[in-house]
Amino acid sequence: MLRRLTTSLIVLALAASPQADAGRAPAPNAAPLLAQQSSTPEPLVIVVNRSNPVDDLSFAELRRIFLGNRSYWANGRRITLVMRDPGEPERKTILRDVCGMNEDQLKTHFLHGLYTGEILVSPKILSTPTGVRKFIFNVPGAIGYLRISDVDNTVKVVRIDEVLPDDRTYKLHVQSQAAN
Amino acid sequence: MSRVRRPTKVTKLLKFAFNRRSTYFVPFSDRLLSAASRHNAALLLFLVCCGVAVIGAIVIRDLQAANAETERMYASSVSGLQRIGELQYYAQETRRATLYALTTSDSNLQVEYADQTRNADQRVKDGIAEYGSQTKQPEETALANRLSRDWANYLGVRDEVLASILEGSTKEAVSLDLSGGVPAFDRVRQDLNEVKRLYGEDASRNLANLVASSRRSTWRLVGIHSFTLLLSGAAVWAIQRSRMLSAIQLAKLQMEFVASVSHELRTPLAVLNSAADNIADGLIEGKEALQKYGAILQHQSRSMGHLVDEILLFASTEDGTKRYVLQPLQVSTIIDSVVASTEGLIQRAGFVLDRHIEPDLPPVMGDVSGIAQCLHNLIGNAVKYSGDHRRIALRASTTPLEHGSGQEIRISIVDWGMGIDSSELGRIFDPFYRSPRVQAAQIHGTGLGLSLAKRIAESMGGRLSVLSEPSVGSTFTLHLQIAKGDDMQTATAAFRPSPSSHV
Repeated sequence: MLRRLTTSLIVLALAASPQADAGRAPAPNAAPLLAQQSSTPEPLVIVVNRSNPVDDLSFAELRRIFLGNRSYWANGRRITLVMRDPGEPERKTILRDVCGMNEDQLKTHFLHGLYTGEILVSPKILSTPTGVRKFIFNVPGAIGYLRISDVDNTVKVVRIDEVLPDDRTYKLHVQSQAAN
Repeated sequence: MSRVRRPTKVTKLLKFAFNRRSTYFVPFSDRLLSAASRHNAALLLFLVCCGVAVIGAIVIRDLQAANAETERMYASSVSGLQRIGELQYYAQETRRATLYALTTSDSNLQVEYADQTRNADQRVKDGIAEYGSQTKQPEETALANRLSRDWANYLGVRDEVLASILEGSTKEAVSLDLSGGVPAFDRVRQDLNEVKRLYGEDASRNLANLVASSRRSTWRLVGIHSFTLLLSGAAVWAIQRSRMLSAIQLAKLQMEFVASVSHELRTPLAVLNSAADNIADGLIEGKEALQKYGAILQHQSRSMGHLVDEILLFASTEDGTKRYVLQPLQVSTIIDSVVASTEGLIQRAGFVLDRHIEPDLPPVMGDVSGIAQCLHNLIGNAVKYSGDHRRIALRASTTPLEHGSGQEIRISIVDWGMGIDSSELGRIFDPFYRSPRVQAAQIHGTGLGLSLAKRIAESMGGRLSVLSEPSVGSTFTLHLQIAKGDDMQTATAAFRPSPSSHV
């Protein structure tokens, strides 16, 4: 109960940070703000650039974004999807819980979308959580995912269906790194 | 005592006399030079040391000033130029890392380049802030503000370019960089060149100031060296001049001394010569006349002998060869001896000697011949300078010490004669000093009596003091230490009159 309360407060604080401070945010390689959780499973949070006005996404919108079917944010910025290398637990979680596909299906989906023009750009692949954080920090329209323990104040966590990552009903969880 | 007759001894005597007398009779400048003569080596050394110390202090001060100026110049100009060089480097690094991100499609590498460019731009921001905080001139402040603004503008474009690169929009990134990035970065580069130019001008000004300061220091050193040389030259000149004056005055004193001694010897010699002539010419007849002439010859030859003895005694006290053996002595015994030895003198002069000896006086520490000589001189002076008041008093008493605890024996010779002017009291103990009043009164003497008495008193651990008032009289007091402890028990046994004593 205490852990949930702490996580909730931190996520709220991150979400409530003014967007005007985005340009003055600390370097993305700063130490993660949240302590690594030892218990499993760990929430997998959706993160965007701090200048992005979006605070909440529906699960359906999230699916569209991760499948490349939505290319622009409401403010007109192009959406840049950031993913981890194939085989990473976080990516598996997104594929399974958000995209509802496996690697091959996703690959085929993007190849088809790019070929037909329905998808403008393929996802950017970053090999480390730090790389993901730095990428999102530098690209205003970027969206990606991180373990909650990898989140710091260089990126902004968005709610999914109005649910915070520490909520019981939060849908995205990933096995802990120790279990991998 | 034979050494006394050597010319060197007399020369030393004369030198001493000159030193004492010159203190009172020569002008101040010559006295100064005379002092320089006595301490010429120490004075020269002192002057040179002073000069060297002053030069050293000024050189150190100038060096410190030059060091401070150099450090200030380094801090404000050279290090400033280094900072600008670093600023230029990191500005280029910011741009270079951004452009490197264009050369790859690997997002991981692009992120690394983005990281590098952001690290570099942070250093530029810090450098610009530091420069802004150190500006003093309005021109520099305006330039710092412009540089900060232009750099922020460039970073705005850089962020857009970086975002486009990371998004994969290479064309858009290149287009953005060419349209906005390049002009913005050129403005930054111009600003940095302007800052560099200002630093260069500041460095040139500081260098010119340093050169001017160095020249001033050089001239100052030359001036100080010249002054020191002049000072040294003046010191050497003063010493040489003082030596020359010493030689001249020594020669003059030699003449005066010879004249004085000759005068003192001439009178008895003339009497001796006249008496001898009369006897040789057979003008003296009869036993009574011969006895009278014999007495005259005896008296005059003793006077001459006394004068010669006095001079030799003075010489021996001057060079320290005369040593007194101190032993416990009975005061009354010594006084009896002195009175007996001066009785003839006192009677011939028609004087009356009043004795006031305190009963049961303790023994004193002294030398028999020394005390006797001392008192003899004082009584002789009293007879000589008493004028018409033909009365002398001799007093001896025990008195508490003026300084410290304990007691001393005081033997005073009192006269009611012409007295001594207060301005002369400080000089009467100087060798060869003779008061102008005494000389005017044609009272003969060598000027050695009081000087001798004083030295003898001091040689025995005592002292000689005087109280006098013109036309009232004088009191000369011999202060002697009281014998202590075992010395007192042997006082009587130890008293053995010296063969050379006048007693």
